[in-house]
Amino acid sequence: MRATFPHLLHLDIALGILYPTLGIEIVPPPPITQKTIEIGVKLAPQNACFPLKVTLGNFIEAIEQGADTIFMVGGVGPCRFGYYGQIQRLIIEDLGYKVRFVLLDHPRYGVRPFFEALKTMAGGRLSLPKIVQAVRLSWSVLRFTEELEGKRRALRCQVEDPKSLDRVIDGALEALRRVKSLEELEILKEQTAEKLSSLPRNGRTDFLRVGIVGEVYIAQETRVNFNVERLLGDLGVYVHNSVSTVEYILHTLRPFTRSKEKLEAWKLAQPYLKRFVGGEGIDSVGSAIRYAQEGFDGVVHLYPFTCMPEIVAKGILQAVSRDFDLPILHLAIDEHSGEAGLVTRVEAFVDVLERRKWEKKRRLEHDGALSRR
Amino acid sequence: MELFLGVDVGSVTTKFVLMDREKRILASCYLRTSGDPIAALKEGLRYIERRMPEGGVIRAVGTTGSARHLAGVIVGADIVKNEITAHAVAAITKVPDVRTVFEIGGQDSKLIIIRNGVVEDFAMNTVCAAGTGSFLEHQAVRLNVPIEEFGKLALQAKQSVRIAGRCTVFAESDMIHKQQLGFGKAEIVKGLCEALVRNFINNLAASRKIEDPIVFQGGVAANQGMVQAFRDFFGGKKRIIVPEEHGVMGAWGAAILAMEYAPEKTAFQGFSVVERSFVSRSFTCTDCPNACEIVVLKEDDRVKALWGSRCGKWTPETATIRCEEEEETAPSLVLPPECATGRCAMHG
Repeated sequence: MRATFPHLLHLDIALGILYPTLGIEIVPPPPITQKTIEIGVKLAPQNACFPLKVTLGNFIEAIEQGADTIFMVGGVGPCRFGYYGQIQRLIIEDLGYKVRFVLLDHPRYGVRPFFEALKTMAGGRLSLPKIVQAVRLSWSVLRFTEELEGKRRALRCQVEDPKSLDRVIDGALEALRRVKSLEELEILKEQTAEKLSSLPRNGRTDFLRVGIVGEVYIAQETRVNFNVERLLGDLGVYVHNSVSTVEYILHTLRPFTRSKEKLEAWKLAQPYLKRFVGGEGIDSVGSAIRYAQEGFDGVVHLYPFTCMPEIVAKGILQAVSRDFDLPILHLAIDEHSGEAGLVTRVEAFVDVLERRKWEKKRRLEHDGALSRR
Repeated sequence: MELFLGVDVGSVTTKFVLMDREKRILASCYLRTSGDPIAALKEGLRYIERRMPEGGVIRAVGTTGSARHLAGVIVGADIVKNEITAHAVAAITKVPDVRTVFEIGGQDSKLIIIRNGVVEDFAMNTVCAAGTGSFLEHQAVRLNVPIEEFGKLALQAKQSVRIAGRCTVFAESDMIHKQQLGFGKAEIVKGLCEALVRNFINNLAASRKIEDPIVFQGGVAANQGMVQAFRDFFGGKKRIIVPEEHGVMGAWGAAILAMEYAPEKTAFQGFSVVERSFVSRSFTCTDCPNACEIVVLKEDDRVKALWGSRCGKWTPETATIRCEEEEETAPSLVLPPECATGRCAMHG
């Protein structure tokens, strides 16, 4: 069996560790390129959201490289995503490919189906302890990839040379692929932390702070969102992303493992949105409010064009923006999005934030001068 | 005398403004880009050069518009700014108490909300280019009315015809349908202007509060029919100002920004730029699976700028070597990405 899976930022690194230790041979899909997107767009229904098209492209490219088993998650709830695995299975079957689809449905009732799906893939030969060990290592690796990306977002506006920052982070990500044990991971973590702290800083502290909210795939996958994070970072903005794969997996494995941040975001969203609207709808609202309370200068809202939960969130975010005096830039992304238009909007948004901040400061100084008089 | 140059290279027109330290416009020009921004840039520079006052020195240059990066490299810009900021800066300079800016250009439209002289919020057209100058121009050709007469004709209409303006194609077919019912040209033109205004408000204003004074700028502001349609839309209750510089506001804004950021020494390449030849070509970088399409701008035989590399490793220095290597298998010549509209400037 040669298994593959969809790309989601660095998920391939974690799964690349998990599957082989379980005795599953993997064929990671080639990185997402324009070609991947073209394949997906051609085969998928036109109205499907962008993540379905891109991941379908991943599958086709992996199948052409010899994959014969596809691992995909399903789900329940108002978001169409839950059904995507099935649609993709039908499309791939229609094309005449002989592949096995392992659909991991929403593990609403605990983690057992998850382990059972893994067991199926491994041909039922595995012992539970071995699975637990492999899951632990790949889980820690996944967490670390997110930490690294968090560092990249936060430090980009603070280091002298962003390219050297990229070199450290990308080097660590590459090294992660070869990690064999938790001890090795610890060593790598220490080394990376050291390298990051020794990067020369530019000494700036007055940078703007922008938070990212939105749909999990578009908000995270830099290869489809035109790398908005890097664009902002290069404009001198400190970026924080409220969306993470780790969180996504955790809250999927409910009810016992929802993180503190997640619960907090849901609580914050309460005055605006009480019902579960699917996907990350509530999280987008809650996280935007949290950013406002933490004094962020603005929020970028990323979602696939036609995404229902995020369109609900978008409507509500306009009220949040007004109530908290927080500028929000909404960016809907799909295969028709043009990079030039997106760049113009992001640049203008940063200008807006800068001028607002400058005006606020000026007014404070003015008031200060008046009160001293 | 210290002078400042602002350049706005849009999808349809290219604008130049020559400004003094008091932000007064000494010379300006408004040209068609005609799909060749480099030629338009050269023509504009020639025009400005002839109007340079005695003893005038260009202290700083700013570029804006969809080809701002290309223009920035060719002319030598000290600041390269997006068109939203540039337009807002010019509007605030002209009308200090402005609260809203409507800007309709060749292929996009913008709504900018300003409070206390600071941009609070903005929107760009998201659904399609129906509410823009190119569309109006296209219909003018179809109706056999010179675009300059278009607005005046609208004012002569005795009544208006409702035309569906949500999308370019539907507006056009609905307009033809109304023609076939026997409506006159003036009525049709007025209906079109009104459809564009509805399109603009529905697309951009959404839940935003439009407060006056409103500054209406961009090429389309020259169209009196459009100005009247906006006035009618607000029932004459909102103050709408069309500045006389409406066509070159973006370039003016770029010049003002250049003055604000003026460096010690300007990057301006001098008017001799018009003598040099610029060519863009592209190749696909095969160093990693990203397979970026790298666009190279060459000045004579020197690599001047590169765009499109995701990892950022392509710089004029590294590319010179690479281009020499690849010269034999030179890929086909392509025009630089002048603007995003080949892909329908969609999805805000």
